[in-house]
Amino acid sequence: MATGKRRSATLLLIAPAALVLLVFLVIPYVNIVIMSFRPPGEGAPYGVGFTLANYRKFFSDSFYMLQVLNTLWIGFVVTLSCLLIGFPVAWQLARGESRLRPLYYSIVLAPLLVGIVIRSYGWTVLLGNNGVINRTLMGWGVTDGPLPLMYNGLGICIALTHVLLPFMVLPIMSAIQGIDPSLEAAARSLGASRAVAFRRVLLPLARPGIQTGSILVFVLAISAYVTPALIGGLRVKTMAVTVVDALIDTFQWPFGSALALVLSVVGATCVIVFARLTRMRWKVA
Amino acid sequence: MTEVRISHLTKSFGAGPVVDALSLTIGHGEFVSLLGPSGCGKTTTLRMIAGFEDADSGVIAFDGSDVSRVPAEKRDIGMVFQNYALFPHMTVAQNLAFGLEMRKIPAAEIRTRIARVLDMVQLGTMTERYPSQLSGGQQQRVALARAIVIEPRILLLDEPLANLDAKLREEMRVFIRDIQRRVGITTVYVTHDQAEALSMSDRVVVMFGGRIAQTGAPADIYDRPATRQVAGFVGQVNVIEGVVETASGEGGHVRLPFGTIEAPRIGAATPGARVALALRPEAVSLVPPAGAGWQGRVVSRHYGGNLVDYRVAMADGTVIHAQTFPTTQFEPGAEVGVHADAARLWPLGD
Ligand SMILES: Nc1ncnc2c1ncn2[C@@H]1O[C@H](COP(=O)(O)OP(=O)(O)OP(=O)(O)O)[C@@H](O)[C@H]1O
Ligand SMILES: [Mg+2]
Repeated sequence: MATGKRRSATLLLIAPAALVLLVFLVIPYVNIVIMSFRPPGEGAPYGVGFTLANYRKFFSDSFYMLQVLNTLWIGFVVTLSCLLIGFPVAWQLARGESRLRPLYYSIVLAPLLVGIVIRSYGWTVLLGNNGVINRTLMGWGVTDGPLPLMYNGLGICIALTHVLLPFMVLPIMSAIQGIDPSLEAAARSLGASRAVAFRRVLLPLARPGIQTGSILVFVLAISAYVTPALIGGLRVKTMAVTVVDALIDTFQWPFGSALALVLSVVGATCVIVFARLTRMRWKVA
Repeated sequence: MTEVRISHLTKSFGAGPVVDALSLTIGHGEFVSLLGPSGCGKTTTLRMIAGFEDADSGVIAFDGSDVSRVPAEKRDIGMVFQNYALFPHMTVAQNLAFGLEMRKIPAAEIRTRIARVLDMVQLGTMTERYPSQLSGGQQQRVALARAIVIEPRILLLDEPLANLDAKLREEMRVFIRDIQRRVGITTVYVTHDQAEALSMSDRVVVMFGGRIAQTGAPADIYDRPATRQVAGFVGQVNVIEGVVETASGEGGHVRLPFGTIEAPRIGAATPGARVALALRPEAVSLVPPAGAGWQGRVVSRHYGGNLVDYRVAMADGTVIHAQTFPTTQFEPGAEVGVHADAARLWPLGD
């Protein structure tokens, strides 16, 4: 039958993607879930039998809970600052009349073209106690000693904001490009000031882009490893850094798996709550 | 009701003026069309009246008070956009309520006014629909309703029918004009469709390159065009050139390359001067060949239902465009007598 044929064609078409997902996402995830219930092993990734000890360890030590909260807080701050910085940029890119727009566009994209390690290393050069910013400030006599810009949450937030900005700008830009400019004119002809037209018409219509950008940035921020590891050093650790520490430095694979899972669940919950709260109540055919 | 007085309005975007020293007064409750080819500055003029664009120089006054410094949202204007510009995230009712909310009208009155206007545009049952759930014609009427529900001083429409199919377009012409009369609102209507401008307006303003070429009642524009450009843009026209032989009163005897004609008006031309006469195709009739009068041969025939379109080659090769009722028809190649209604000849300036 025709539909049967079409269905098997569809299956064939999605098969490669499904295979990739299965091999590289589902199987490792299942593996991590299983591993998180294993006892630690001697000379092996994990021991025999199953246990809840890894989760008990996590929930009984407020150190880890605080770290989760700290990670979420960093994710929140980075998302907010990307939004505040990125929205005007996206607006300018989408609506600006400057002939330099292609240049601005490539400046926004530039961070994506340089490897993340190099970018983060660049920030250590800028933010360090002996870095460009502090030396300049002290050279001008603005400050006596170096400002604490590195090895703390502030430094991580600054660097992550820069690294993740394109992920906020691009979706918002394309959302704004999809808004008919005459809608603003229509709102104003009906008596709305620029500010009211922005709030009542443009902002709601740009919301899908804001939502996408925020989710992308938040998820990438709480799971980022390289930037927090380089900027935070040994003093400030995010969950992702702790997970890797557990896996690589101390070989606690089962405990590391449990940490990773908690981070995933908490992150996913935040995203779902956020998506629900900002859900669109109208549809465009 | 409001009178709009525009004087010496000029605007350029870099190279050359787009609107060039345009002066125009639109009376209380008058329906004026700006008619002109693409790029002649119609939209720019409308946007300056609306306050979306600042003029380089010149004055726009509503009822005698200069509005140049008044921002768009304070001008109390209803505007209908070519693409309707309905807010996609709001229902029909919310779209209509928007302008009323901006005016801080109480909710109960908002409801009654929306109901009344939606009734007027025959969309009373569509209040809870989103724009994407409406047809093009319905969206058009919502856009019109949204503009008039605020009871603005002036209604501006920018090619509001351009996206509709021919049948709907004709219906909407009558509809818009009817509503405009009932509300009695001063209206500026932008279009590049001459049939629309002629059928709807009290007065038509023909624009070329940012300047007004002619202003007048629809019949003035059509029957008494000021220039070749106006004659050619507003409907179809034969421009026949000849030399005045004798002048008498307003009229005169004109010799053409393919015959002569007694023209009741020849403008300021004197014997010996060249004149260009406009002759509408429907003022030309074809008859079976006779000894006297103009003679020609049918080159092509296009059947158009109510009218038949002929191109007729005259003795010297000049091609005359004729539109006749399909009661008698001539085959391409046939010899015909060509009769021009002299009363419909009109001398053209340059
Ligand atoms: N914002 C702008 N920047 C630069 N040039 C513009 C701008 N707006 C309009 N123009 C130019 O001004 C001229 C007149 O434009 P306008 O939109 O007023 O024409 P129009 O008569 O409405 O034409 P149409 O019938 O195609 O809508 C055009 O040549 C156009 O390219
Ligand atoms: Mg236009």
